[in-house]
Amino acid sequence: MLRATRGQQQAQATKRTWNMVLFSVGGIKLAARTEDVGGISPWTRSISVPSRTPFVHAMLKRDHDVIPVYDLATRLSRTLQGDPLLCLVARHLDGPMAICIDAEVPSLETVDVVAIRPSGSEDIETLGMVTIGGEDVAIVALQRLGRSRPDVVKS
Amino acid sequence: MTLRGRHNSTNTLVETASFLVVRLGASYLALPAAGVRGVLTEARHTQSVTALGDIYHPVDLAQRLSVIADLSGLEMRTVLYSNDHAQGAIRVEQVVGLTDVERKDCFPLPAQFQGDEQHWFMGMMLYQDQLVLILNPAWLLGGLGVGVAASVRQTEQISATPSTVGESC
Repeated sequence: MLRATRGQQQAQATKRTWNMVLFSVGGIKLAARTEDVGGISPWTRSISVPSRTPFVHAMLKRDHDVIPVYDLATRLSRTLQGDPLLCLVARHLDGPMAICIDAEVPSLETVDVVAIRPSGSEDIETLGMVTIGGEDVAIVALQRLGRSRPDVVKS
Repeated sequence: MTLRGRHNSTNTLVETASFLVVRLGASYLALPAAGVRGVLTEARHTQSVTALGDIYHPVDLAQRLSVIADLSGLEMRTVLYSNDHAQGAIRVEQVVGLTDVERKDCFPLPAQFQGDEQHWFMGMMLYQDQLVLILNPAWLLGGLGVGVAASVRQTEQISATPSTVGESC
């Protein structure tokens, strides 16, 4: 019992930092919690799917799976940069979801939780903002990306 | 009818579903084969087609799916399709083939698709390494009813769709 309590305390102590994947979409730096990222690989041609869901109009074949594509670049009104582009697989609550990101190879960062502040922008689902390398970076809530768009909630 | 060959499952004990696979623009679509009444080679742009006493009303599938399709090519075909309630003549860019698919190889549309497409498609499958979307016949022919009785039937079909979406084949 005492050991378990100590273990819980240690676990709480280690949760004071978040491990982040830092990536970019159309030149905008974004971050995501590492546990929300299922992997990063070269982008392959997506398959167009007739759809009325905002920013979900394609699917991607990965090995024996087919996963939906979320067009984050279009949502942010940005044009993807570099070649070859990369695929970030988000661990979305509805299942894995592919996002095409810039060719710039993502990096890993550790962020102190107290440095995370609320996001002032409602452009995208975030877990907050953090300053990395002197640049303000939104922490994208990959698990619920596309779930809380105002036009979806209100309809 | 110039089908590219029929792909049968070799195991007759497994539960399978039959589909006619067609192409419209960049999309590969599957129609449950039980409803296919014929495939015409001649162009019938906006006219109804009468076959064996049944009238097949034109279905502009490209417009309904908001797909850009070139229906002027040599491989354009008109698929005559019916269910218990209505008949439709569906123009497609190409008839790709007939296939039998094990039900375990049909998958539901991912939950991230949250719009009207949930009604358009019953699920998806892979065919010759292509992703194929399985059309929902109730939606496909849903707008073809004539008169009050048909309209009521159409409403019933559409409202019943969500419960059948989970059944991909």
